[in-house]
Amino acid sequence: MQRLYDSVEPRVMDEHMLKLAVEEQGPQEEAGPLARQEGILFKDVLSLRLDFQNILHIDSLWQFENLRKLQLDNNIIEKIEGLERLVHLVWLDLSFNNIEAIEGLDTLVNLEDLSLFNNRISKIDSLDALVKLQVLSLGNNQIGNMMNIIYLRRFKALRTLSLSGNPIAESEDYKMFIYAYLPDLRYLDFRHIDDHMKDLARSKHQYSIDGLKQQEHLTQARLDDEQAQQEELKKHKVAFVEHLNGSFLFDSMYAEDVEGNKLAYLPGVGELLQAYKDKFVIICLNIFEYGLKQQEKRKLELDTFNECIQEAIQENQEQGKRRIAKFEEKHLLNLNAIREESNVTNIERKKVEYGEDITELFNVLMTLEMQLVEQLEETINMFERNITDLVALFIENVQSLMAQCRDLENHHHEKLLEISINTLERIVKGELNEDLPDDVRALFVDKDTIVNAVGASHDIHLLKIDNREDELVTRTNSWCTHLVDTIHKDEIMRNRRRVKEINQYIDHMQNELDNLECSDVID
Amino acid sequence: MEVLKEKVEEEEEAEREEAAERGEKVMRPVEMRREEPPMTQEMLRDLEKKLSEIEIVIPEQPSIITRDTFDISKLPLSYQSNTLKEEHLLQVADNFARQYSHLCPDRVPLFLHPLNECGVPKFVSTTIRPTLMPYPELYNWDSCAQFVSDFLSMVPLPDPLQPVVQEEEKVPPKKYAIKPPRDLSSRFEQEQEMKKQQESKVEEEKRRKEEEQRLLEVEKAKIDPLHGLRVHAWVLVLSGKREVPESFFIDPFTGRSYSTQHDHFLGIESLWNHKNYWVNMQDCWNGCKDLVFDLGDPVRWEYLLLGTDKAHLSVAEDEEDGMNDEDVENLGKEDEDKSFDMPSSWVEKIEISPEVFETRCPNGKKVIQYKRAKLEKWAPYLNSNGLVCRLTTYEDLECTKTLEIKEWYQNREDMLELKHINKSTGLNIDYFKPGHPQALRVHSYKSMQPEMDRVMEFYETARVDGLIKREETPKTMTEYYQGRTDFLSYRHVDFGERVKKLALNSAESNPRPMVKITERFSRNPEKPADEDVAERVFLILEERIRLRYHCWDDRITASKREFLRRTEVDSKGNEIIMTPDMCISFEVEPMEHTKKLLYQYEAMMKLKNEEKLSRHQAWESELEVLEILKLREEEEEVHTLTISIYDAKRNEKSKEYREAMERVMHEEHLRQVEAQLDYLAPFLAQLPPGEKLTRWQAMRVKDECLSDFKQRLIDKANLIQARFEKETQELQKKQQWYQENQVTLTAEVEDWYLSYCSQAMFRIRILEQRLNRHKELAPLKYLALEEKLHKDPRLVEFLKVFV
Repeated sequence: MQRLYDSVEPRVMDEHMLKLAVEEQGPQEEAGPLARQEGILFKDVLSLRLDFQNILHIDSLWQFENLRKLQLDNNIIEKIEGLERLVHLVWLDLSFNNIEAIEGLDTLVNLEDLSLFNNRISKIDSLDALVKLQVLSLGNNQIGNMMNIIYLRRFKALRTLSLSGNPIAESEDYKMFIYAYLPDLRYLDFRHIDDHMKDLARSKHQYSIDGLKQQEHLTQARLDDEQAQQEELKKHKVAFVEHLNGSFLFDSMYAEDVEGNKLAYLPGVGELLQAYKDKFVIICLNIFEYGLKQQEKRKLELDTFNECIQEAIQENQEQGKRRIAKFEEKHLLNLNAIREESNVTNIERKKVEYGEDITELFNVLMTLEMQLVEQLEETINMFERNITDLVALFIENVQSLMAQCRDLENHHHEKLLEISINTLERIVKGELNEDLPDDVRALFVDKDTIVNAVGASHDIHLLKIDNREDELVTRTNSWCTHLVDTIHKDEIMRNRRRVKEINQYIDHMQNELDNLECSDVID
Repeated sequence: MEVLKEKVEEEEEAEREEAAERGEKVMRPVEMRREEPPMTQEMLRDLEKKLSEIEIVIPEQPSIITRDTFDISKLPLSYQSNTLKEEHLLQVADNFARQYSHLCPDRVPLFLHPLNECGVPKFVSTTIRPTLMPYPELYNWDSCAQFVSDFLSMVPLPDPLQPVVQEEEKVPPKKYAIKPPRDLSSRFEQEQEMKKQQESKVEEEKRRKEEEQRLLEVEKAKIDPLHGLRVHAWVLVLSGKREVPESFFIDPFTGRSYSTQHDHFLGIESLWNHKNYWVNMQDCWNGCKDLVFDLGDPVRWEYLLLGTDKAHLSVAEDEEDGMNDEDVENLGKEDEDKSFDMPSSWVEKIEISPEVFETRCPNGKKVIQYKRAKLEKWAPYLNSNGLVCRLTTYEDLECTKTLEIKEWYQNREDMLELKHINKSTGLNIDYFKPGHPQALRVHSYKSMQPEMDRVMEFYETARVDGLIKREETPKTMTEYYQGRTDFLSYRHVDFGERVKKLALNSAESNPRPMVKITERFSRNPEKPADEDVAERVFLILEERIRLRYHCWDDRITASKREFLRRTEVDSKGNEIIMTPDMCISFEVEPMEHTKKLLYQYEAMMKLKNEEKLSRHQAWESELEVLEILKLREEEEEVHTLTISIYDAKRNEKSKEYREAMERVMHEEHLRQVEAQLDYLAPFLAQLPPGEKLTRWQAMRVKDECLSDFKQRLIDKANLIQARFEKETQELQKKQQWYQENQVTLTAEVEDWYLSYCSQAMFRIRILEQRLNRHKELAPLKYLALEEKLHKDPRLVEFLKVFV
């Protein structure tokens, strides 16, 4: 069946061709004229068949956003492309083409049935995104390596597989291998898999499968670990105190501090540094824990607020619904009454009455809404005050803790300076016994140099601390502002939606009434 | 009269039963006694008068209720006579009574030793015999009391006052009692009254109150003459054991418990259990309210026997220990060291067979008359339709106008549990247990005709379609569903007038036209709210379909859509398939694709199909109603009862099976006995024991055994032969005699001769047959024995050489 494009004239997949196909496959019989009359939008099409069209390049399909089923079999396609937008695709048939590699399917996450029968594929890959895959047809291809099967283990939903006509299918162990490595498979090459055979295969390949499983298990565990860590970090970030649960900040202070590291070689500085680090880390931990606690508090505050708001809205909606339900009951009766009424004056009178009803409903609903808006506004303002206070308190306390850090740094700086000058004096006097690395010794040329070096180190440290503090404060504040803004915006949106909804409904009712009378008058 | 006697006997039995139960269960932990006629101050004057005339009663006075109607000779000896100890006890009791009447001349004589069914005076305490019964229901006081109350049937005394005077002689059943008339205002009735009052209007209430007032007056008038004079015995359960928090009374006729503070109890004369007898020395001016039930207090309670009265409250524990032993005699032994102890009970141990226990009431039937109500009880399986209980309530006191009837059923195959018939409204409500073939739960109706007012409720989990309830009126049918995959929760069908064309109208042949079908659906969480239909109405006549969708969570309005299908023809004569005015829709969130005619057309086509489906389902529902009604009628007619497979008595199949098994077992047993028959034993016994057989001995044993058997066979043959000859000779003699005297014989003698001849001939023939059979079988039997001996393990090693 495979046809080379040089033997036939390839056709271009253009809008005309698609239109024809859509019309041809669209609604038939009574609905046909309707469809033609209105025209069918490509995005409404759910299923499209484009077989035996001599298509070479897949093209112009981007409009079919809602396509569920696409048949492109029996063409001369060489490359899978242009399907990126068809994310709702469930069924894709690309059999009897000239495809050499599986590609371009990364967005089709809903795909359940994929047929690549009779192509030139030699390797199964690039299917990772197809997590819902149930049926995979890869018969009559050029797959030669049994290891391709192992790749299929990741598709937990895969039940049907066909691989006959491939080089691997000639292998003696072909079936047993697949049974063993894909235990969830039900059908292979369109034949049901016997449970007994499955058991046999499993025991045959027990050893290697166990190894594989172990490996998979380890990978999975590692992934889980990583994910857990990420989650943890995310949690800390939400509390604005990430990386404060250890010596990370301290280490970063010394990471770019050349002088500071050099000075650590001075006698006595090592101990000093260690003591400094310990104290510093303790403060960091304090900040960290405080941050988490505050985060809990903020979350609780926010949750309570949301809950209350939701309750209020629900309550209000229920009231509105009740009013509308009551109105609808009456509405049906009213309509019928008007329909049955023959007297024109009576109709007029009833129309007026009914119109009044509608206006009344509108008033009631709008009053309800206005009430809610007022209530919510008050609550939101209260929340805003509270959350701002909370955040301010948090920042204040963190700042005071950061100030402690700074004090520590200053203290350390003084000590270090003292040691440095002492050392300098001793070097000048030639009393220094310890060996110092050359670059460290180079600092001790004169007093200015060493003071400068120590000062530079100190500056870097302070800068780091300041930066961290600034970051925390800025992020916290911006979070708070953003939160409050969102709440306000949401409320405004909600209010607009509701008002629009009410208006729409009232308009519809009014229209219905008007139309009714028109038609009656015409009658 | 006979019936009465039987009842009395039963009563007595029941009373003993109860005593037994108490003794073993309730009584052990608690203490139970009977008590004599209630006394109040006001009555004393009347009594005084009477007593002054009557003086002391002699216990040996003949019983008024004669008991010779049942065979007293079959009763055990203990019933018919007194042991020495009992005589002694009676003397003690007489002595006690004399002292008592001397000391308290104004009080009623004590009820100490009534005559029993054999006319023998028996001390009351000895009529109680604690017995443990094998029924768990009898272990606790409430169900036990219920059983006793069912078991007893009340027979009024000829004179309700008489027992007060003569109780000792003629009222052995201590249970014998007449409820104070005030008891007639039953709790049930009160509840009923309450209900009625709530329901009825104010005027009705007023009227009823007036009526009640009148009734009360009537009752009061009744009460006056006998109030406080009546005899009543009841059960007192003392607190302290088996988690009884406080003492209370049990009325044996209702099985109901009363607080000791209850107004109905006017006083206690005396009380007893199986160990002792106490006389109440406390003043009963305030009923039983102020009584102290500390039996160890000799000032309040005068005991009759010192022996056990030592068991004051502190000794109650000792008693309990003794009582733990179920044997009453043990008790006696334990008490031997005391001055005088209660002789062990003379009554037989009570036995209640499972049948009797199940039957409960005498003859399995009991009728209790309440004020404006009648309660009838039957044993299970007594009525062929499974009726076990019927409560009839009446409008008036004379019980002529029935208000409503409640009938309880058991073991019905159609699972009918309760039938409630309201006579005033004509409404019948049937309640079913789970398991009806149509999963019916409740069926309330006024008539069994289809298309009438009716409500059927179902066990929805047992039904595939999840139907909970179906309500019908002549014009409508409403169905409620739950747990369906299509989320349908409600369907309401309005029917129009039937087109009259057939003589026989039914839903099957000529269904009523449906005017309107309303269906409601619960929310399907998988669909967006404005595609999830909440309600759809098919206005069939108008060809209109109305849809209402569910409401979004954050909305207050829901989308609506109305389809109107009119087949019209446009100017060119083409049929108009779809026009925009055929679909009016309101969308909460307007969408583009729904505006399209194609979409609307498809939606309408789908709805048309669904309309057909709904109509079909409604029609099927109608058919189902017909089917259920038919089934119900059949079930009512047949009313088959189910029999548990564990019910060995009633279950015919299991009975047959069991009997067959027993037969097989029996045969097997016979076979085994035969197999075990040791032919060699007598011969082996002749040899010296414990020594091993030699071959010569073995051979000899075998030969002897065989020859002995042969001899037996020959003897048997000879015996039969001899009998045969004897019979033949006798017959010949008779024949000879007959021929000689033939002429002189009377017809009677001749008859006798002829019958003798035929009998003799029969005997001869049988003997002949037996002889022949024996001749045939004897050699076979001989061979069989020989074979058996060859295989005998004791001989086999000696004999096999020759085989």
